[in-house]
Parts: sequence; C-alpha cells; structure tokens
Amino acid sequence: MAENRERGHILIIDDEDSIRDGCRQALEKSGYFVLVTGEGQEGIRLAREDHPDIAYVDLKMPGISGMDIIDVLSREIPDIVLIVITGYASIVSAVESMKKGAYDYLPKPFTPDQLRAVTQRALGHRNLIIEARKLKDEKEQMERNFITFVSHEMRSPLVTIQQYIESLKIICDDSLSEEAMGIIERCEKRIQNLEDLIEHWLDLSRIENGTLIQKKEPVNLDALIAWSLDEMMPLCQRRGLRLESHIKTEIPPVAGDEESLKRVFINIIGNATKYTPAGGTISIQAEADELYVSVSISDTGSGIPHEKLPFIFEPFYRGRGKEDRYRGSGLGLTFCKKIMDAHEGSIEARSEQGKGSTFMLRFVR
Amino acid sequence: MTAKKKILVIDDDRDFLMATKLILEKGGYEVFLAEDGKSGVEMVKSVAPDLTITDMMMETWGEGFTVVSKIRSMDAGKEMPLIVLSAVDLQGPYQSYEPSEEFPKVDMVLHKPVKAQDLLRYAEQLLR
Repeated sequence: MAENRERGHILIIDDEDSIRDGCRQALEKSGYFVLVTGEGQEGIRLAREDHPDIAYVDLKMPGISGMDIIDVLSREIPDIVLIVITGYASIVSAVESMKKGAYDYLPKPFTPDQLRAVTQRALGHRNLIIEARKLKDEKEQMERNFITFVSHEMRSPLVTIQQYIESLKIICDDSLSEEAMGIIERCEKRIQNLEDLIEHWLDLSRIENGTLIQKKEPVNLDALIAWSLDEMMPLCQRRGLRLESHIKTEIPPVAGDEESLKRVFINIIGNATKYTPAGGTISIQAEADELYVSVSISDTGSGIPHEKLPFIFEPFYRGRGKEDRYRGSGLGLTFCKKIMDAHEGSIEARSEQGKGSTFMLRFVR
Repeated sequence: MTAKKKILVIDDDRDFLMATKLILEKGGYEVFLAEDGKSGVEMVKSVAPDLTITDMMMETWGEGFTVVSKIRSMDAGKEMPLIVLSAVDLQGPYQSYEPSEEFPKVDMVLHKPVKAQDLLRYAEQLLR
C-alpha cells in the first residue's frame, strides 16, 4: 500500500456505497492508494492520520455536513486538495464550498474517466503548490544568506582599513604632523559613515525578512527612556545641549522588541543633536491614555521645512546640506518608521522652522 | 633580557593579519601569523605561543569554533590565553549564535576593528 504514496493518496468521503466502490475501483486501477468511508467524522480521522493528497467529499451526508468537513480539512491538513462531489441540484453549494477552500467539484453522476481526469488535475495543482512553496522557502533562505554574506563581504575590507589605520597611528606614534593626523581622522570618519550605512541597510533588510523583530515582549518605556538619556547624555553635553525627560502619567508596558526600540530612541535623539544648536534643549515626554502610549521627542533646533516633512521617512532623503554635522546614512528615520510599523505603532513628525521639531511615537496599548 | 612573548594570530584576511602584527610588534611581542584555521592549530603546537588571537568567521561560519575547540583539546592550548576577535558581534542581540555549554572557554571576545591601545592592554593583561 505504502508504495503507492508517490502515485497519490486519495480519500473518498461519501455515504453512497455505489459511489465509494466505483471511485475506489477506478482509482486503484490507475495505481492510486484509496481510502473510503461513508461517515464524515471517520473521514476527518482518516485524513488526520493519513494526510491524503486529495479528498473527495460528498456535500450531502447524514451527520456532519460536507461543508464542515471541507472547512476542517482545509485548515488542518497541509496541502490537501479538496474536491466536492455533488448532485446537480446542489451546484450552488458546490460553488460555496469552493469559496471555503475546495479546489474543484465533480457533479454526479460521473464516469471513471471523468474521475481520473479530475484527480490528475488536482494532483497537478497540488504539485504546483508544493513546488511554489519550496521555491519561496529557498528564496527566503537565499535572502537570509545574502544578508550574512553581504554583511561579511562589505564589512571585512572596512574593518581591515580601520585596523591598518590603528597600526599606522601606533607605528608613527607622535611623529605624525597635525595635518597628517587630521587626514587620518577624516578617513576614519568617512569609514565610520560607510559602516553606519551598511549597518542600517542590513537592519532594513532584516526587518523586511522578519529576522530583526522575532519576538515581542513587554517593554517598559520609562526604563527605556531613562536608558536612552544615560546613553545620549555624553554626546549632548559635548554639544552643549540639555537632555531631559518628563513622564506625565504612569506608562504601562508595551509589546515590543526592546533592542530595536532602543535604536529608534537613539536614532531620533541623535538626529535632534545634529540639528539643535548649542544651548538648546531636547526633551522626551511620555504619556498614556486608554488606547495609546505616546512618546514625543522634541528639540529646539532649526526645524524641518514644511514642504520637506512628508519625505523625511523616505530612504536616503536628506533635508539638509552636505555639511559634516548632518551627515548620516540617510536610512535612520526609514529604519525608525519600519520598526514602528512592525510594532503596529506609528511615528510622525511635526516641525516649525526656526523653533524645533517633535517626533511622536505612538504604541497601541 | 627576557625573551619576547609569542602571540599567534589566526585570520583569513592577510591584510588584517598584517595590521594586527604591526600593532603587536610595536607592543614588543614576537608575532606569528596563520591564514587559516588548520595551520593555526598546527602552529599552536609548533610555536607554542603565549597567547592566541583568532578570527571567528573564516571560510565557514563554524571554522572559528572548530579552531577554538581543537586548540583547547591540545596540551599546548589547554591553558593558553585565547582571544576571539571577530567582526560579527558575538554578544549582540542580533546573532543567532549564543555561547553554549559545550563551547570551549575563551578568555576574551573582542570586536573588530580593535583599537591599538585596547589590543595591547588586553594582551598584556592576559600575559601577566
């Protein structure tokens, strides 16, 4: 019996003896492995046990209805192809059952040839589905490998250049002129930019293929804000900026991926430091209502021109000039938006030129 | 005068090896280089270094692990200080790899590129 597996396993669920026998004979003659039953529950049990390739289901039976069987099998048995056997009077319900997941229907009475033709087509359909899924899995696997590959291949040369620069500095010790040191520093900065770009690009790819945010756990945003403050304080102090937080209400935890959310905060605060002149303030506020937890990060910087606001989350869009201070990967805000999307949250920017910008993150409670 | 301490560096990137060698030599060490895991493991035996620094992602993702376990299973390598130096953030949250119990103990995991002063400081620490 088992040797017929490659030829196809077929389950017939029909309460008419003559149909069951006829189908079995016709299909076994063509080399298929056939299971038959006249009872719906038994049919479901057999399907769970045998995982047939095709099941023929009579719509009108005593006990559990054919429609319900279709429903259960299409959900439970992977890749099963369901075909409805139906009298002419019930064509309408046959159509209905196809909406529920049946692939085809076979009106009674039918000849053995018709049965075999429908069976063959159904098997062809099943093979296509399986083939398509295999290709899709393969493609996803390749994409994942591609990311690892690119990460390694693009970063290796940069890492080596950086290591050479390190060795150059230590070999030359104090003998390098100020001018030469300046050049080395500029090289380092540009390499760092390129590394950031690769890192951000990888992050975006990881979000797209779902490897970045795999599990969501309760995240305490107030703790996360405190962490971001600690993390960004040295930079703010260097740039002469005040960094503060105001938590207005008790903040309930939100479901999220803490590491990526941390990076959203660091990104936005980092941006604010670039566009806020010394003496300015960056402040983080958080509040919660019955539906949402909202965090806003405001600065007293130069603001974003009104006409540019709609584009700032686009990849590689740059609001500002090419000055060093503003240089970034061009992917930071795109990353933030994707992360927020993946959290079913939102990110918005408001800005008034000359007065500052506010980025609002909103999470569903 | 005491003999120079010996450091073996294993990495499949020749330029990276050169850069690391320049730094370590500046620190007064005698530096040996191996461009693949196999010759690295052999050199642990033939050179008997005082410290070994190895890359993780050579040829295949797993080769670094193999190198570490081979070294640890050798007499010359059982107690020797061992630094893993990798561009992959092994301790980061985004890597599928997590050190498991059967992963042989290393003394330090460093991230590439490593600052010259840091590398020399850590080497000195482990060789004390």
